[in-house]
Amino acid sequence: MKAALSFLVLLISLSGSLQAQEGFPLDGTWRGFWSVPGEEETLVVIVMDLDGENINGRINPGRNMVFFEEASLDPENWMVRFTSTSKADEPIVFEGTLENLGAYDRTITGTWTIAGVENQLVLTRE
Amino acid sequence: MQLKQISITISALMIMLAVSSCGESTTTSDEVSQSVTMESVRETPRFDDGMVRFDRVPGEVGYWGNPGKHSLIENGVQVAMDENGQLTDINTADQVAPFKPWALGLYKYRQANGLADDPVNACISPAGPRHLHYEGGFRIIQDRNFDRVYMLFGGGNRGWRLINMDGRQAPNPDEVAGTYYGHSAGHWEDDTLVVESSGFNDRFWFSNGGLPHTPALTLVERFTRSNFDTLEYEVEITDPQTYTRPWTASWTLGWVDGEIKETFCEQVEAIDQYTGNN
Repeated sequence: MKAALSFLVLLISLSGSLQAQEGFPLDGTWRGFWSVPGEEETLVVIVMDLDGENINGRINPGRNMVFFEEASLDPENWMVRFTSTSKADEPIVFEGTLENLGAYDRTITGTWTIAGVENQLVLTRE
Repeated sequence: MQLKQISITISALMIMLAVSSCGESTTTSDEVSQSVTMESVRETPRFDDGMVRFDRVPGEVGYWGNPGKHSLIENGVQVAMDENGQLTDINTADQVAPFKPWALGLYKYRQANGLADDPVNACISPAGPRHLHYEGGFRIIQDRNFDRVYMLFGGGNRGWRLINMDGRQAPNPDEVAGTYYGHSAGHWEDDTLVVESSGFNDRFWFSNGGLPHTPALTLVERFTRSNFDTLEYEVEITDPQTYTRPWTASWTLGWVDGEIKETFCEQVEAIDQYTGNN
């Protein structure tokens, strides 16, 4: 009985968190794997927030963290674009579309271009 | 003769009384009318020292409800919407408030999908000013012993909100952990309760209809009980991340006889899923 009740509480909590929707839709921590189809995947973690005017972002917080150089969100079609430069001096360009906007765990599906090589990337909000 | 004079005098007096009575009858009719009007606009109740009483006087029941508006909408703007804040014409969305582009896009998205993502569907509180136009009503309890005001909400999940009246200031939003109800500090301006609030999180909709906000949100609310049955509410919204400038919305609420209904929010879908009651 206790186990069933615990499961019910967990179910309700989980359901609530998945349905919750927040303010600025890019705000938060995003995680995904980029790769050329069929090749090894590389984890990327991105933290974004709005300072009122600009979208700020950090890629892979930690020892190899780099910052966004430019970032934009087009609210007409929810296109997201940001640029950066990796620690190895490789230019990074991400372009994608924000999807499932109403969900806490919304996604951005697009392409992660690093050093001129285009990779697929789906970022999921954590 | 004397008897005749007395009789005439009495008759004259009776006629005068009758005429006078007719006159009084007319006057009385006006007074009744005024009396009815006076009764329909009852005076604002007060404590013994003259302070406005926002809740019940001893011996009665009642609460605030029947909001005049069902969504935040900038004063002076006329757009049609239903009681859930759903716009009749989505092309009027940009008139509702001075949105920044991303906020207008999100508001239109929420409107276009029929408010399906509303966090109250997951029993998340309709906090901020939304509680004051949401179903269920509310009470305003003045705890004068401890310089606090409590707002008890019948809607959502029957939450409550604390307003400190001890002279403290609302905090800098950057310096506090955001909460659903924020941090509120109140003071009096004559008979108006003025409440400044900040420190909100952004995990709820602060209005029916899905107007967005961020943790930078600050509110200045003004509550005035202009007569027994009327609460005038005004809120100034400042959120420089979401809106291009501060803006103001206002509406009135009515005194509802009776008790707030005892309803609780529960996620029926989650429970049905668990019990197999789909």
